[in-house]
Amino acid sequence: MDEQELIAGCLRGRMEDFRMIVERYSAPAMALAMNILGNRADAEDACQELFIQVYRHLKSYDKDRSFKNWVYTILYRRCLDQLKKRRRSAELVKKMGRETVLVTPANPGHSHSARRLPSDLMDKLKAKERTALSLWANEGYTAGEIGEVLLCSASTARVYLFQARKKIKKLLEQGDVSLQNG
Amino acid sequence: MSRCKTVKFFYDLVPLKPWRGLLIRRHIEKCPRCLAGLASREEAGSLLVQEGANIADFLWTEVEKALLAESGGEHVKDRTIRPVVMRPRGWAVAAILLLIFIAGFLLFKDFRSDDVSSAAAVPARFELEYVRVGGQPANTVVYQPQGSDMIIVWAGKSP
Repeated sequence: MDEQELIAGCLRGRMEDFRMIVERYSAPAMALAMNILGNRADAEDACQELFIQVYRHLKSYDKDRSFKNWVYTILYRRCLDQLKKRRRSAELVKKMGRETVLVTPANPGHSHSARRLPSDLMDKLKAKERTALSLWANEGYTAGEIGEVLLCSASTARVYLFQARKKIKKLLEQGDVSLQNG
Repeated sequence: MSRCKTVKFFYDLVPLKPWRGLLIRRHIEKCPRCLAGLASREEAGSLLVQEGANIADFLWTEVEKALLAESGGEHVKDRTIRPVVMRPRGWAVAAILLLIFIAGFLLFKDFRSDDVSSAAAVPARFELEYVRVGGQPANTVVYQPQGSDMIIVWAGKSP
């Protein structure tokens, strides 16, 4: 079924159409969220919020824009919110004087298959760089399209992508063991 | 080689994104030597999570729950319009309601016709309270010919 038809169905209140949108976008959205956030539990939360936002604001979606880009823009913002939350809670824990934080997965039923992003990628790359890199490597996005998602110019997106690729190359050359994915 | 170094120098010198973007577009993206210093799509892909596990069912359950809670318990699924299928009991109730409606309508109609007739009678009544001619109370004669609806009012100046 065509995407525009699904959107029109959703606007008419057909929940089955919205379910199809969720099914279509859940896997790529999860991949992007995991690449930005680095862990599955947070990525699941971000995706959940994403689809609720999509449903709420579907009326304001501009049909001239790419629906996929619109969805990814919302997801990117939700991921930034999650990162802010995480930073705030880390600061709180630091203030409380604890050294380690035990993070339990939000959905233990799924955690057995959880994949984490290599820790060096999380440490060395900024969120914008990880987003740009993920969209470029996984989705084949151009700088212009990345700019649409990150809400910046193509030039700026190009810089994020360049920095990310440069850092990754450096890490790969160093042969860092912490880059082993899995 | 020297050009690559110059570009790198200017890239580091001016930390403005539009400027850097221009250098990347004009030189770095086209130069094989510069590109060799960047990770390829495959290299990047090997480190990134490429396809999130299919958790559509899990996500849908959670999203639907949230949307239901938002709509105040109304079952979102039932928002689509379905054809009405009535049972015999339903038909009986509908018939009774229809009869009540018709009876009510007829009663209301009768009351309304009374109201209308009384309202229509009002213009037939003729009242004359005060007639002045030249600022003085007039000498007034009201005359209705026998068997006629016509009323003649004669107002003359008081002597």
